[in-house]
Amino acid sequence: MLNHFSKIQTISLPLSREEDWKVSLPNKVKGLDEGLVVLNCRDWLLTYRDFQKIEALCGTKGLQIEIIISTRTETIVSASSLGYQAKLSLNNNQKKPTNSEIDSNNNHNDLPLLFHRGTIRSGENLDSEGDILLLGDVNPGAKISAVGNILIWGKLRGNAHAGKLGDDQAKIIALQLRPLQLRISQAIARGPEEKPQAGFAEEAILESGQIVIKPANPNLLRAHTAQNVFIS
Amino acid sequence: MTKSTRIILICSGKGGVGKTTLTANLGIALAKRGVNTAVLDADFGLRNLDLLLGLENRIVYTAQEVLDESCRLEQALVKHKQEPNLSLLPAGNPRMLDWLTPDDMQRIVALLSEQFDYVLIDCPAGVEDGFKNAVAAAKEAIVVTNPEVSAVRDADRVIGLLNTHGVQPVQLVLNRVRPKMMASQEMLSVDDVTDILALPLLGLVLEDEQVIVSTNRGEPLTLSSNNSPAARCYSNIAGRLQGEQIPMIDPSKEGSGVRAKIRRLMQTKIF
Repeated sequence: MLNHFSKIQTISLPLSREEDWKVSLPNKVKGLDEGLVVLNCRDWLLTYRDFQKIEALCGTKGLQIEIIISTRTETIVSASSLGYQAKLSLNNNQKKPTNSEIDSNNNHNDLPLLFHRGTIRSGENLDSEGDILLLGDVNPGAKISAVGNILIWGKLRGNAHAGKLGDDQAKIIALQLRPLQLRISQAIARGPEEKPQAGFAEEAILESGQIVIKPANPNLLRAHTAQNVFIS
Repeated sequence: MTKSTRIILICSGKGGVGKTTLTANLGIALAKRGVNTAVLDADFGLRNLDLLLGLENRIVYTAQEVLDESCRLEQALVKHKQEPNLSLLPAGNPRMLDWLTPDDMQRIVALLSEQFDYVLIDCPAGVEDGFKNAVAAAKEAIVVTNPEVSAVRDADRVIGLLNTHGVQPVQLVLNRVRPKMMASQEMLSVDDVTDILALPLLGLVLEDEQVIVSTNRGEPLTLSSNNSPAARCYSNIAGRLQGEQIPMIDPSKEGSGVRAKIRRLMQTKIF
């Protein structure tokens, strides 16, 4: 059994413009030994039925899917709502930040940005290695988490965790901030109970160890980012 | 000849919100409009659809026998007594729970879609295997929910799963609406629900005691000429499903209840 952990194999689907994954997958599975695999879905938009087919095919060779990787957020949301561990990979070879880098460097410009359009529904979760920009709502029972900041152009009514690797400067911004629970870095807070004021975007930040909600600062993320825009 | 059969899953996540009642009434309402309709009870562990339609004592075979090829599809289909356009196909025997797979479901529905214009699938509660089987063959879905926090939360989860299964379009029916409680803000409003679920609203169904009576009798409300509030709502939903533009009822204007209005009207006539 130990061998399985020391050697995790990878199945990479072809890019969607090159070849249909349904054609090439049987050949890719053929050459593998039984054990855990990482499934890299590249840019394919896969549904539950697709994952069922893949699972069945892998099952015939005794392969068990350990992690699903994709460059499409829709596929990630599908996979994670089906109970798989799913990770978003970013196209442009951006390196993953490490804990020490985040602590020593508050400049988030080098963190990747995950953009997703659509509602995150109860039981689903969206996770990013950088910042998240969501065009849609986070419903009660859903979870959104990021190494960096979380920006929601919509209503936040589920759970959100910004700066999940320990960045105290991370922010959560939403047009309507009425979450069940908020987390920034190590701090946890319950969402406010009163009805939101209409028409004001709000942000949650960490002030001396406490999460506070304020009207959103127009200099959205970092003051110097905004300056850069004006200078150039 | 290829005709496009509409295969509609009726689901909710939470139990007891009115999936089966909607399936039965919608089936009758569509059949009355002259549409060849089949209702498939995918909740075969706790099957109720035959009860609501009053067809319990007529079931001889089920889809299980059709797939085993021990009977023909026509033998398993139970035609409704008064509405011959409506047929019921029970999915299986409650004592044999684990026979059905998503593949079986697709085969049954493929058989049904050769004969019918509409196939309504009554989905079991929950999001486990029963749901996964039922959803396998569905092309579109109607999510039923009540104006309650728990029902809305479960509906939200189901909508997410329907999206991952690629079921499109998904429409919403809000059941058991009590206009008085909505007006006094004791109940989630229509806006509260559509705000969270972000789905097109196919219809509202008013709370109606007649539903209980009709369930116990095994005669869906839409069957009789009875013009009870819920019956009108179900007929409107059937019309909208066929693409008719029927204005949505406004719960705030239903405040006094339609039957109360009719009663008042009748009283004035007497004098």
